[in-house]
Amino acid sequence: MSGSFLPLIVVLLVIAAFMRGDFALTLIYLVIGSLVAGLWWSNRALGQVQTRRRFSTHAFLGERIKINLHVKNNGWLPLPWLELREVLPVALVGPNRFQSVIHLGPRGEANFEYSVDARKRGYYPIGPLSFSTGDILGLRDSLQVETQAEHLVVYPKIIPFTSVEIPSYSPQGTLRHRLPLFEDPTRVFGKRGYTSGDSLRRIDWKSSASSGQLQVKVFEPSIALETFVILNLNAEDYYYRSRIDSTELAIVIAASISNWIVNKKQMVGMLVNGRDPLASDGKPQAIPPRKEKRHLIRLLEALARVETAENSPLVPLIQQQRYQLPWGTTLIVITGRGDDRLIDELYQARRWGQNAVLILAGRDIAEEPIRHRAKTFGLPVFSIATESDLNIWMQESKHR
Amino acid sequence: MNQRPVSTSAGNKRAFRFVSYGLVFLLMACVLMALGALMQNVLPGWHAGIITGLLLFIVIDRLYTYGQLKSMTPLGREWVTAHAAQWIGIALLIRFLLAYVNGLDSFLRDLSGFARGDLVRFFSPEFIITFLLALLIWGLTAQFLALLDEIGLDVEVALHDDPGPIQMDIIPAHQRLVNLILSLGIGLVILTALTRLNFRATFSTPVGIPSLEWNRFSGAEAGALLYFVFGLALLSLSRLMSLQTHWGRLRIPVTSDNLTRQWGIYSLLLLFLLAVVVSLLPAGDSFGFFSVLETLFGFLIGIFVFLSQLVITIVILLLSLLMLMLGKAPPLRGGSLPPLFPTLPTEPVVPPDSSAFLALLRSILLWGSLLAIIVFAFIHFVRQHDSILAGLRRSRITNWLILAWQWLYRNAEQTGANLSRAIIDGWQSIVARLEAKRLLTRPGFLSVRSLDPRRRIYFFYLAMIRRGGDQGVARKPSQTPAEFAVQLEKAVPEAGDDIDSLTQAFIEARYSRQEVDSGKADRVKAIWDRIRRALQNKAKSN
Repeated sequence: MSGSFLPLIVVLLVIAAFMRGDFALTLIYLVIGSLVAGLWWSNRALGQVQTRRRFSTHAFLGERIKINLHVKNNGWLPLPWLELREVLPVALVGPNRFQSVIHLGPRGEANFEYSVDARKRGYYPIGPLSFSTGDILGLRDSLQVETQAEHLVVYPKIIPFTSVEIPSYSPQGTLRHRLPLFEDPTRVFGKRGYTSGDSLRRIDWKSSASSGQLQVKVFEPSIALETFVILNLNAEDYYYRSRIDSTELAIVIAASISNWIVNKKQMVGMLVNGRDPLASDGKPQAIPPRKEKRHLIRLLEALARVETAENSPLVPLIQQQRYQLPWGTTLIVITGRGDDRLIDELYQARRWGQNAVLILAGRDIAEEPIRHRAKTFGLPVFSIATESDLNIWMQESKHR
Repeated sequence: MNQRPVSTSAGNKRAFRFVSYGLVFLLMACVLMALGALMQNVLPGWHAGIITGLLLFIVIDRLYTYGQLKSMTPLGREWVTAHAAQWIGIALLIRFLLAYVNGLDSFLRDLSGFARGDLVRFFSPEFIITFLLALLIWGLTAQFLALLDEIGLDVEVALHDDPGPIQMDIIPAHQRLVNLILSLGIGLVILTALTRLNFRATFSTPVGIPSLEWNRFSGAEAGALLYFVFGLALLSLSRLMSLQTHWGRLRIPVTSDNLTRQWGIYSLLLLFLLAVVVSLLPAGDSFGFFSVLETLFGFLIGIFVFLSQLVITIVILLLSLLMLMLGKAPPLRGGSLPPLFPTLPTEPVVPPDSSAFLALLRSILLWGSLLAIIVFAFIHFVRQHDSILAGLRRSRITNWLILAWQWLYRNAEQTGANLSRAIIDGWQSIVARLEAKRLLTRPGFLSVRSLDPRRRIYFFYLAMIRRGGDQGVARKPSQTPAEFAVQLEKAVPEAGDDIDSLTQAFIEARYSRQEVDSGKADRVKAIWDRIRRALQNKAKSN
């Protein structure tokens, strides 16, 4: 727009040349001065604007997150107008942007507060915030600056399981078990009279001395449930009509099982073959089994971020991973659809000394043959078509 | 979201309308001022004052009737009737007012002539020109008002003019207003220049290049200057209106209540500052700047006039030959002189200036402005023509020039850095020497608080040397600070750590470029206090 001034300046220069300065020169000063002042003002003032966004970067499903936006003019030049536009994820908020126009005086500041609802798990960008201003005379187009977006992690839904039938062959853990094979010498359950065949090492000498009869310790059987959740997010492995719902259900199952295992103070790891927006190559890294709540948060964060991927077969990943897992580890494979290769791989894992559980998430028309084949190999299979099917793990175990 | 609704109060709208209409009136008044002055200069027999007044009345009429007339369907019956009635009225008013100015008799003569149907007498040149000017002023005023409506004065019009995807190349209304103000400004500047031109003296030479002669101050200059000031004020207002329209269209809430008020304040402040700065800058000729330009333009105009005269002479010659062949007298007989070729420009006359400094300042300002304009124009031209930029980038010469520039820039940057480092080193050395000398020679007259943190550390260290010397531990010129510290520690072992700390602080302050803040200087002062007490105790024990 400032280009429109050129003919005027040229005319003024010609007139000033013939009149040796005079009023034309004054007009040249005025015109150039207004142009330069306008350009300098808007450039300078925009450079002094500082914005800061404050919000809780992690949220559970259903929470309302308040976002506080602070805008400050660090300079002495006022901003007659400042247009703020913040792009927000449409999955979390109705109008997918926050926008406002303010005036910022010298060293002025403004605060805005708005909120988004954690309606759906995911890794959402908050922003970028773009702010624009311009000169007061409108001699040039508005200047715009964009700040970087920050991210909000909404954890997946967690269903509080009370009992999940997960097989384990790892002895001496913290979970009670029924089979005496897994007796834990650190968990004395009671005492009984000595019978022939009892190991001498089980005799409780103190109680034997006090009672005058040989007493042996009775140990409680226990297992360690070291689990590795394998979540298949390969899009082709889900029935196309219910792909979105089924993958989300699979993520909910993975999150809920991980939560249950960590609550049981057991170790849990995870492998996902989806797409992680934070990973440099887009592939999420395998998370080795660990205990503690902090580890659970790490798992949930990974589950919050992951998305389905195309052409990402699961079997090669399981092959790669299971050699790194210790004997007795339980592999929980959550997928939409199983096939012979997967069943073979899980059978191999079983032969290797690991347990395998197959959970089929979502509806699939070709489910029955796989169930039958898995049964042949002795692999437990659970079909979870909807969230309500998870109620089976929300009831207290009958074996307790 | 706690966004507040868009608030465009009716009060604001009324204020915008009042101010913008006022500014349009003032702009047109400035134009008319120049027009009147020009008329007075060129046609002294005409009633310039009356004509200007009439035209100003037309502006007021247009401002008043615009709202009513725009609501009518263009070229509809009502519209035609209203316009026709208005223009017949205006024409009669102009005619009879121009007649009445010449006296009552003239007015009555005109009236009777009109009654008799003497239309030739009615349509005098003065009337026709005035009528045409009235049409022009009417149209210009309407154009201003239509643009203001489109920008935001009329919400319906403003929102209706939302450029759709097909109309994206339409120039925004605000930019069209800028163009209108600037175009009119160009015309006004030319008019103002013409008001100063002495036409009789300039065109007294029948043949050859006319030499321009200028009158004294005509009064139109103030009009031109005010026109641009009011124009900038109108642009500021229209910018606010266009932004408010834009925000309203996108439903962006304005959360600052005082935005409009502050806008007004900033606009006035900007214009005031501009006026102050402009009034302070020199407005006369400088070291031949305008003389050079005048010579250049004069030569170019001379060539143009010469070529025109040459063409006219040839045409007349051909016509004369044709007439002679037909046996008739030629239009011009030998009396006409051949055109004179413009002389090559000689050294421009440099106006004398009383103050060399002022002349230098003017020269810098003017040549600087010219250079800035050329650079600015070039950059804009290249930006508007992407193909040129792409071509320049592809060109080998450009690439070579860019490489050469980068090489030069790097070298210059390195040289600059080296130079500044050398200057800083030299300066520090000089300061250190001076300080050392001064501190040692005039310790009693020094205010430690007035020193900067670095020099305060120098001071405490030098004080330690002096007090050490008093206690028989004099520093030898060959000793380094560390060596002297070892020697002093032997004499005052209880202050060993403090002596080390002070020496270290001095070395850092003296030989490094690290920032020394006042906090560090305060800590060194505390260390020095402890050393001083230790030295005093030693003196007492001796």
